[in-house]
Amino acid sequence: MTVTGSYFNGVSARRHTVSLSFRDGLLWLHGEEIERSASPGELKLPGHLGNTPRLILFADGARCEIADHAGFEQLLATAGIAPSLVGHLESRWHYALGALAVTLALVAATYYWGLPYAADKVAWRVPAPVMAMMDKQFMATFDHRLLEPSKLSRERQQVITSRLHKLRLPAGASQPTQVLFRSSPAVGPNAFALPGGTVVVLDEMIALSSDDDEILAVLAHEIGHVAERHALRQMLQASVVGLAMAWYVGDISSVLAAAPATLLETRYSRDFERRADTFGGNTLELNGISASRLADILEKIERAHSGSSHTGDSDAMDYLSTHPNTAARIRALRGKR
Amino acid sequence: MTQEQQREQFAFSGQGGEYFRIWIVNLCLSIVTLGIYSAWAKVRRLQYFYRHTSVAGASLDYHGDPIAILKGRILAVILFGGYSVMLNISPVAGLSVFALIMLVMPWLLVRSFRFQLHNTSYRGLRFAFHGKTGDAYVNFLLLPLVSYMSLGLLWPLAHQQITRYVRGNTSYGNGGFAFDGKPGDFYKPYLIVLGLTILGAAVAALAGFMLAMGYSFMVVGMAGIVIFYVCLLLMAIPYLTSRLQNMIWNHTTLGPIGFSSTLRASKLFDILFVNIVLIILTLGLFKPFADIRMARYRVEKLTLLATADLDAFVAQQQAETSAAGEEMADFFDMDIAA
Repeated sequence: MTVTGSYFNGVSARRHTVSLSFRDGLLWLHGEEIERSASPGELKLPGHLGNTPRLILFADGARCEIADHAGFEQLLATAGIAPSLVGHLESRWHYALGALAVTLALVAATYYWGLPYAADKVAWRVPAPVMAMMDKQFMATFDHRLLEPSKLSRERQQVITSRLHKLRLPAGASQPTQVLFRSSPAVGPNAFALPGGTVVVLDEMIALSSDDDEILAVLAHEIGHVAERHALRQMLQASVVGLAMAWYVGDISSVLAAAPATLLETRYSRDFERRADTFGGNTLELNGISASRLADILEKIERAHSGSSHTGDSDAMDYLSTHPNTAARIRALRGKR
Repeated sequence: MTQEQQREQFAFSGQGGEYFRIWIVNLCLSIVTLGIYSAWAKVRRLQYFYRHTSVAGASLDYHGDPIAILKGRILAVILFGGYSVMLNISPVAGLSVFALIMLVMPWLLVRSFRFQLHNTSYRGLRFAFHGKTGDAYVNFLLLPLVSYMSLGLLWPLAHQQITRYVRGNTSYGNGGFAFDGKPGDFYKPYLIVLGLTILGAAVAALAGFMLAMGYSFMVVGMAGIVIFYVCLLLMAIPYLTSRLQNMIWNHTTLGPIGFSSTLRASKLFDILFVNIVLIILTLGLFKPFADIRMARYRVEKLTLLATADLDAFVAQQQAETSAAGEEMADFFDMDIAA
């Protein structure tokens, strides 16, 4: 049997029409001015790629293009050459659908388990000086844009800090690297933990609390974030999700990529909030304070924020946006009693 | 004396369904191998698009070595990963990595162009890029910097210079490409887009003003005009893309061969709009179909014009005898150019 192809010698762009055949263990090309043979071992015979022409590549740069797929397959079969695996996978719809299922399963597994696991492992390997530098950087940015110096007296700050330092913590947990007091009418009642272990307390949150136990409750929650390096893990997870989204949707629009990425990241932060609540509740009970005190202050914070959100001045820092349903958290904490 | 002009339209024979299978298998293998297979996937993707692009009875081909692409990708990950990590730690460190990237970028771009063109072939002959690295620093670093400092006013000029540098240094076999577009050819589409943007903003502001003054009877008419201008602004990207691609190809020659590109902004807008809507609705699964739709339109609107006998000219082309090709093999492909 013979198959027709276009032969190019790699030196000139002239096309030669040739007929191909397989004889005595050799592949033969016959045409006007062309008479060439080679054993399949000396040739590159790329597997098929969709409906693109099949190719025979010679070591000296010459090539032959064959449009007749069926004929060429048959010729290869007589020569005892098996079709390529990847080309085979790509040509069948059921393999493609299988690949789609495997891809979706892998992406989901990475999102639910792989990424949190990897971020946890990496977070514990970040050296302390780097973490300290990151917090310094964060504070410089926040102080510049969002935060004002605290109006709390030095004595009051010291009372809160020393009560915090006397707090007995669950085994394995450590105190925050530093506690900073700031004020921010724009952010409202809040406290947050930075990746490097710094905890920032806002005057507005202190003003909202009815006693020091409630302040300690919020701080215990934040120590929960520090103890499990939540902020650092969140940062790592968010940057991987952001990169993946940018790569997947990126060439359409970077704005389009940002929205789903943000949505996907909030699930992680909700998990972290729940864990910090559990940690905070346990810590409070360890110190003879009821876990429901954390629920009390959460309720107040929620009320303060839902009141202010109507004025439309709550920023991207909004406490509630990345937190799980507050009512559910309060129920969980009250249930501890 | 007058010679019959020979016209050869470029053809694209890729199919969405066929490419979807290649795309999903490659995506799956890339994820399973933690991204390593993505270099092989890129080769297969380019081979698919190149081999489906044909003119005058022969198709293009791509010969990139996946290992070289993998090396380029690892370098890119190190550079950009280093940049984002440094930026998180301190802006000064981040900016110095950024400056370093900017400094090596022209050098990397030259390597990237050499790699891409050397690995592109037609009728068994390779393309090549001969641009000097020194000129690359002028074209890819100095000119963009100057146009940035001129608030973009000099960008069309920079774009013209860059195009002339890239096209003028490209060759096929022993024939060189040439580009004779003038700065004015680039200023025209850019200025029209700028004018439309200003006009659109002015109309929107006027409508807002009227609304605030309570001219409610004007509102319906004004809203119509605003919507009209929003549509015009959405047309800006397809308009600029089509005008620039047409103009650049119409001013490109390869010996006695000329090119003609006849993209239309409205058709390009249709394709882009449908692509974006369907990609969103299918959570990205329409992406391979979208790529095929776009490639088909862009390729099939390109025509090759030959004043001399095309076959005779093509047959004269000889592979270059320099050994330059050998040393290309280990240069990085940075995947910067589209």
